[in-house]
Amino acid sequence: MEHIPLNFPFLAAALLVAISFYIIIFKKNLIKLIMGIAMLASGVNLFLVSLGYRAGGTAPIYTDVPEGPMVLAVPQALTLTSIVINVAVLALMLTMVIQIHRHTGSLDSEESRKMKG
Amino acid sequence: MDTLITHSSILIIGILLLAAFLTPLVGRVSERARNILVIGSLAFAAALVFALARDISFNGIHVYALGASSPGLATPEGFMVPVRIVLEVDGMSILMGIIWSIVALAATVFSLSHMSKETGQTRFYTLVLLMVAGGFGMMFTGDLFNLFVFLEITSISGAALIASRTRFADTQEGGFKYIVISSVASLMVLFAIGVLYSQYNLLNVGALAQAMQYTMLDRMALVILIAAFAMKLGAVPVHMWLSDAYSVAPVSVTVLLIAASQSCMYALMRTCFTLYGVTADLTAVGWIIIVSGILSMFIGVTMAIRQTDITRLIAYNCICESGFMLVGIGVGLAVLADPGALAAYGTTAISGAIFHMINHALFEGLLFLAAGAIFYRIGTRDLNQMGGLGHTMKFTAVFFLLGALASSGIPPFNGFASKILIYESVYQFSPILTIIGIFVSIITLAVFIKVFFSAFAGAPLPRYKDVKEVPRTMIAAMAVLAVMIILFGLFPGLITDWIIRPATDALLDQAAYINAIVGAIP
Amino acid sequence: MTSMLESGYVFWNPIIWLIAFVVVLVIVFFFRRQGRQDYKKDTAQAQIFLCGEEVPEAEQRHIRADNIYWGLFETLKGYYDQVLRPHTGIVNDYILWFVAVIAISAIIILIAG
Repeated sequence: MEHIPLNFPFLAAALLVAISFYIIIFKKNLIKLIMGIAMLASGVNLFLVSLGYRAGGTAPIYTDVPEGPMVLAVPQALTLTSIVINVAVLALMLTMVIQIHRHTGSLDSEESRKMKG
Repeated sequence: MDTLITHSSILIIGILLLAAFLTPLVGRVSERARNILVIGSLAFAAALVFALARDISFNGIHVYALGASSPGLATPEGFMVPVRIVLEVDGMSILMGIIWSIVALAATVFSLSHMSKETGQTRFYTLVLLMVAGGFGMMFTGDLFNLFVFLEITSISGAALIASRTRFADTQEGGFKYIVISSVASLMVLFAIGVLYSQYNLLNVGALAQAMQYTMLDRMALVILIAAFAMKLGAVPVHMWLSDAYSVAPVSVTVLLIAASQSCMYALMRTCFTLYGVTADLTAVGWIIIVSGILSMFIGVTMAIRQTDITRLIAYNCICESGFMLVGIGVGLAVLADPGALAAYGTTAISGAIFHMINHALFEGLLFLAAGAIFYRIGTRDLNQMGGLGHTMKFTAVFFLLGALASSGIPPFNGFASKILIYESVYQFSPILTIIGIFVSIITLAVFIKVFFSAFAGAPLPRYKDVKEVPRTMIAAMAVLAVMIILFGLFPGLITDWIIRPATDALLDQAAYINAIVGAIP
Repeated sequence: MTSMLESGYVFWNPIIWLIAFVVVLVIVFFFRRQGRQDYKKDTAQAQIFLCGEEVPEAEQRHIRADNIYWGLFETLKGYYDQVLRPHTGIVNDYILWFVAVIAISAIIILIAG
């Protein structure tokens, strides 16, 4: 693990967030939009976990603490909460897309809209 | 009784969550028992909110550490920072709690007859209780990640409630837009919380405010938080989801959504005033919020006058009224560092914005409930199809007129009281803002004259000759809001001195907020 | 007095406004009573009169919401064409505006603020 520069997870998280915004803004298919939101969630979760890393740290699961630093435990708890919330959100969004397809027959965000202006 | 008050902040959230989980079970037994459970738990929560408000006015900020050996113990022995989820209720939070409890009660009583012909009512009421619990959590929490969790709870239940009538196509579209917007905004809020945590290792708002140093990363977090909360509350230019979502939802849900977006405005105010406070250079932030407010006022009302769908029109009016609040808050933020200007007009601007928040919940709620009453009787929301309904639906017409006059800022109703606070104080900052505000209020009156004429006035149309007045529960819910509008209009000094001034002072007093958590730590 | 709102430059008392309103209402009713009271209800005196033209049915007579402010919409056609262009209703554009707001606010707050 020593030869990976410490910034690498943050760069990966930023790249995930940037690509997911590109997908959300420019892809018209509703399923791809939901995949973009899932990728945004993954990027933010990766950012949260990687900000807790301390170089050379051990996992925060010991009672008798061994020598050396320990990785921060709180961001891991935040990430678990966020993963659970995003599962619920994605399930809800997919349900609504099923209903939109049932009513309008289209999965395109421009063709299936009924409200504008 | 004292124990009840000490634990009241978590009891309010906990009782509502428990009632939400019990509602499907009780709903299998009987409908009447379920209705009694829902209304009873909301009434109990409202009573606790008022008791807590009285306690806060006597004893100051109420702090509750979840799971600690004693409720006020935010930082236990041997710890240097607050370690548990801490609920911190000050004057501003309890004002939002009062608004939310009144609005939730009125909306739920209205939906007792409005949703009486729908299927799946048990699930509807479960989601309503979850949303109300989430809203209270957002208003009472003193911890950033807890804010994110309750923000998501409110958004998910809100989106499910918007899309609850699956037989229509536009409700699904409105619900989908709402959940996409909420999900992106909440993930960005989580990103900003991560940035703040990475710098200071703290999630508690009071402790973070004390440790805040306004580095470049903190500024980025502030930008993301402001943009995300602005999108959730419907500021221009990220407002376009609001008219889609609010117009298609069942109107009791729309009333709850209005108060939920105001709790996002509360979160924005907490971030700017308490979390960052005077360590940040808030003139730039203030001006961004002022510009967003001006655009909201103007674009909201000019789009409203074009609409032919009654709830979509009222939703655009919501955007316009949010603009007034944003202008008041922006002026208060811009002069926060300048004590002379703050005492002269900054406090009044913030008071006007906060007063307008409670008035906005009342009169927009009344407008939406009246529009829902029309939809309940004639089955359409299209203004082109309506006419002469005022002959038979007299109460609805009077309540709609009351809400319309209050919204346009016509004396002696409550809209005028809060708007004159905003006009007079913002004038000292920059006269052009007041001129735009008055102009926008006049166009708001024009918008509602259009609606009143199309829907209620005119000769009775033959196709609506069998339309009767709406059931009594709906009239009772609208009457509660109408009576509050008239009372707030006739006694503005009373409301300002008892509720609004303490809230403004609590919002501007960052030191008291920090001291309640961190205290006299050596 | 609890009805008075006084804060800095603001002075607003709704009771005084109501008293003034009642006074004006009394004057209005006084003027109304000066009118003729000898009209007969339920005869042609109480019907709509359009210079002898035939009065259309209520369905056709009632002005619909599309037509009420057409003068305003005609005059502000240029403004409305511009302001309706961003209001597309496509959910992708909503997020595009969100990113634009973050970008502009970031430039203002990071560099200037």
